[in-house]
Amino acid sequence: MLSRLVLRAAPAALRALPPPPVAVGVLHATRQLHTTQQSLAPLPPLPEKGGEVRHGLIPEEFFQFLYPKTGVTGPYMLGTGLVLYLLSKEIYVVNHETVAALCILSVIIYGVKRFGPDVAAFADKLNEEKMAKALAVKNEAIEGLQAAIEEEKKEQWRVEGRSYLFDAKRNNVAMLLEANYRERLMMVYNEVKKRLDYQVAMQTLKRQKEQDHMIQWVEKNVIQSITPQQQKESIAKCILDLKALSKGAHAAV
Amino acid sequence: MNLSFFDQFMSPSLLGIPLILISMLFPTLLYPSPNSRWITNRLLTLQSWFLHLITKQLMTPLTKKGHKWALILSSLMIFLLTINLLGLLPYTFTPTTQLSMNLALAFPLWLATLLTGLRNQPSASLGHLLPEGTPTPLIPALILIETTSLLIRPLALGVRLTANLTAGHLLIQLISTATTVLLPIMPAVSLLTLSILLLLTILEVAVAMIQAYVFVLLLSLYLQENI
Repeated sequence: MLSRLVLRAAPAALRALPPPPVAVGVLHATRQLHTTQQSLAPLPPLPEKGGEVRHGLIPEEFFQFLYPKTGVTGPYMLGTGLVLYLLSKEIYVVNHETVAALCILSVIIYGVKRFGPDVAAFADKLNEEKMAKALAVKNEAIEGLQAAIEEEKKEQWRVEGRSYLFDAKRNNVAMLLEANYRERLMMVYNEVKKRLDYQVAMQTLKRQKEQDHMIQWVEKNVIQSITPQQQKESIAKCILDLKALSKGAHAAV
Repeated sequence: MNLSFFDQFMSPSLLGIPLILISMLFPTLLYPSPNSRWITNRLLTLQSWFLHLITKQLMTPLTKKGHKWALILSSLMIFLLTINLLGLLPYTFTPTTQLSMNLALAFPLWLATLLTGLRNQPSASLGHLLPEGTPTPLIPALILIETTSLLIRPLALGVRLTANLTAGHLLIQLISTATTVLLPIMPAVSLLTLSILLLLTILEVAVAMIQAYVFVLLLSLYLQENI
């Protein structure tokens, strides 16, 4: 793993070195040690995937390294030969630890194969959640500001309707004034009518009173002028008229 | 390399230089240190998550004063966990099988909790020696018993860890020897023994994790009583 780091850093380091001095005879100036500015931010992005590994242990670069000379089976032959050499020469002795090693390695490999993707997904989810939280904050801020913009536009539109509002208010006030004026006019009319009616009533009453008085006076005088002689005569005449009428009525029936 | 059963428990030394220190420092090489990135790679994310988990687990029952112990308890936890799990690999030496190391971890930490309790709240911490609701005639006997149990705690902590790990490793050795020896004689029985060994290995993985957790948990419990 460290070798891969060195391999990756090598081109950048080589580029960072100054070019070899070309001109012969020029006075050799002091070599610059830092040609690139080291800055901490922005950090270079992490590689998306780790290095390619075969069988979980051996980096792919090893196979690529041996490919030109030995082809595809080269590294496997090397591995097999190495293992057989170690076993046959008893450089590695097969003892109880080998069996224990077999067991623990099988447990580890089973664990990695079975739970590896889940654990990786969990780690990715943790990172995603972290980013989502920050993004949520940013998005909420943006949404809030956009809502504020909408509100502001609405307020501006409302301001445009100011004149209508004032017209309506003006009309309102004019109507109130008109209504008030009419009301007062009505009141004046009623008051005047009341007074005129009073006068008329007074005149009517006066005339009535005069009439009544006159009728009473005439009646009084007439009754006074009726002598007893005239009374007898009128009563006799009435009786005769009644008799004649009753005769006429009998005949009709 | 012919091994006897107890070679794995011998403290390794090379030309008279004790190598146990290097083997104790090895776990630190396995954990990447947090870098200045906000979104880190998977290993670092998982490591931070795990550390957060155990710190929260240990510190929730403690008061604010107890949070001073967060660093030492979580680092102890990671240390023991890693050492125990690494010891399951073949041909590795497990420092926690050495009683000296476990006592050296248990004694000072337990003593620290005890002295903290005696210093800051002496009557409360001594009051733990007598459980509530004991009948009066039993009190003297119970005080003696509780004091003994208090004083035996560091020994218990150290010996528990040592015994569990040593026994586990020894069992693995024995059963794998049985498997190896039986292989030419009775292969079927050898396969049976191999299956037992597989189960035992899984058990040992669990025991390794549990023992580390129990060690740190008990220490945090003792701290809770005394802080």
